[in-house]
Amino acid sequence: MKKIYLLLTAALLVLALFPPVQAEDLSQIRAILEKIDAQSRFEGTDFSAVLTLIIEDPEEGIEKMVVRQFRRDDGERYLLLIQEPVTQRGQGYLLEGDNLWFYDPSSRQFAHTSLKETFQDSDVRNADFSSTSWSSSYEVEGYYEGTLGSFDVHIIELKAVDDTVPFPYATLWVTKDTNLVLKVEEYSLTRRLMRSALFPKYAKVGEAVIPVQMVFLDELVEGKKTQVSLSEISVAKIPDHVFTKAYIERVNR
Amino acid sequence: MFTLKVAFRNISRQKKRSFLLAGAIAFGMLVITMINALTGGLVENIRDNFAHALGGHVFITGREFNERGQMVTRIRPDQRLDELLTEHAPEITAFTKRSQALPSLIFGSKQTMHLVYGVDFQEEDKLLSSLVVTEGSLEDVLSLENAVILPQPAAERLGVEVGETILIKLETLTGQHNVGELLVTAFVEDQERFGISAAYVSRAYLNSLLGLGPEEYQMLNMFLIDLSLVESFTRSFREGLLAPGEEQEEEEPAATVTVGGVSLDPVPRQERISRWQGTRYRVMNINQIMEPVELAVGVLNRVGLVIFIILLLVTMVGITNTFRMVLLERTKEIGTMRAFGMHRRQVQLIFLWEAVLLGLVGCAAGLALSGLIVLVVGNLPLNVDPSLQFFLKQGRITFRLSPGSALLNMSLVVFTSLLAAYWPSRAAGRLSPIKALSSHT
Repeated sequence: MKKIYLLLTAALLVLALFPPVQAEDLSQIRAILEKIDAQSRFEGTDFSAVLTLIIEDPEEGIEKMVVRQFRRDDGERYLLLIQEPVTQRGQGYLLEGDNLWFYDPSSRQFAHTSLKETFQDSDVRNADFSSTSWSSSYEVEGYYEGTLGSFDVHIIELKAVDDTVPFPYATLWVTKDTNLVLKVEEYSLTRRLMRSALFPKYAKVGEAVIPVQMVFLDELVEGKKTQVSLSEISVAKIPDHVFTKAYIERVNR
Repeated sequence: MFTLKVAFRNISRQKKRSFLLAGAIAFGMLVITMINALTGGLVENIRDNFAHALGGHVFITGREFNERGQMVTRIRPDQRLDELLTEHAPEITAFTKRSQALPSLIFGSKQTMHLVYGVDFQEEDKLLSSLVVTEGSLEDVLSLENAVILPQPAAERLGVEVGETILIKLETLTGQHNVGELLVTAFVEDQERFGISAAYVSRAYLNSLLGLGPEEYQMLNMFLIDLSLVESFTRSFREGLLAPGEEQEEEEPAATVTVGGVSLDPVPRQERISRWQGTRYRVMNINQIMEPVELAVGVLNRVGLVIFIILLLVTMVGITNTFRMVLLERTKEIGTMRAFGMHRRQVQLIFLWEAVLLGLVGCAAGLALSGLIVLVVGNLPLNVDPSLQFFLKQGRITFRLSPGSALLNMSLVVFTSLLAAYWPSRAAGRLSPIKALSSHT
């Protein structure tokens, strides 16, 4: 009996010392979200990199993909060109504002696709290749303070403002000092955890701060995950014609 | 009658020759009969299988725009629809109101995409009795909100047991991710084995995941008592469901009928859509879906006819040559008959009757052979790829030959035989009795 009292007292003490702090003024959190979005954008510069994806599927095994990305946030454009595996070389994704096109060199056809879709058979979504829009797509539902590893973080619970985003609910772990998103959990409409994303390494590229290593975990299928790492990062000016359908067709000739 | 008797005797006299000629005709007849019967059976099977797979002969879907301008497939409770169903009740044998999705079913590290129908099990009581349970029981389906009936192959792919819970991952009507839990209550045999297997869950539960109301659904499918009523029935529903200000489309455009995620649109085409208020209905029927199939079968039949005509032409040359030989062989005989008072016309008629008899015997043999092949092949159970089951009936090839096409083929055979024998018969008729009698052949 004594033991139980002791345990209860200890639990109460823990709760008293580390309460889930609900922010009185959520505007501070909204400002953090705006900062996160702002530092993920390349304003005035272009961005290119080589992305290496290691896709682990318990049924399909491990697959490596190499993708070259060209991105221009002014006008919400990007071009993804698959370089590996050889069987998919030349396939491309072209984003122009709200329109995302997939090009298959074997059929020489462009097909309309969506930012909500997953990239190939990975756990990455097409939207993950562009800048974030947490502040405009979500509203803050709750806010706590905590730690993630050795980092002091804000734990922010978000709810989508409308049904335009694929995940209706999300939780972010954001470092207090640098406003870097270390972890994201995304939930279904029934509030079931569907995907976790970890961002262990960031790099300052131009004025932007972007994750250069990412791990996306499928929380529904055991053992399914995708690791993404960025290399050959550049903010050099990209010619306008790169963000065109004609360019994808030309590189495939 | 006399000429017919003589013709029959002549054919019987040269058994081997007659057998070969009739055999050639029989082969041609066999080929065309088999092609016609096979395509006829295919069309019938595809029509029946489509009707079963789609769950009806007439299908109604409803479309509306949501607040954000997205078009969604949804049928809300509608008095007009209920009135039409009551009015046409005598023509309907059964109807189903279903929702559907093509979600990922997940169990542990395994997942599979599978067609799932949301069914009102109380309303569709016949469905449960039609399912062949291989494991588990259907008793809990009515009481458990999230019960799922899984086809055996899907259960095997997932490695799940009855009583275990699987996840269902899908998108709502507006494209948001949603996940639910389904309790596996029974495994069933793949219905009809058409390569299209579906799992069944409660419509209310699937609706909750899709973002539909409990009384809403996405497809109304109806089986009619008579397939000949399909067109008038469809027209009546189209007119009855027209929204105020909506113009009836002369020909129904591509509808959103899908099976296993595969669109069954008859002819995909671009549509200029302007936003409207409320629900607009699309009424499709099995004939529209069958249109491309029937076109393809028509081409196959025409190809068969061309092959048949080529075979007949070859046979015709054979018949002409044979009759010219016969003419030489029977010159003296013809001379004798003519000397005894037989007219030119009668001599010619003997030859023509022989050709007709050969043609008829060949046709009969061809039809008999086809019947034999149909009997054997039609009873062979085929263990083919599930997607090919669509062409079969209970795993067997079926044949349907219309009497019209059989008669047409027979007429063609008799006509070409007559044509082939005409010139030798004319030459026979024109033989002078004196010359014929003094002939050395």
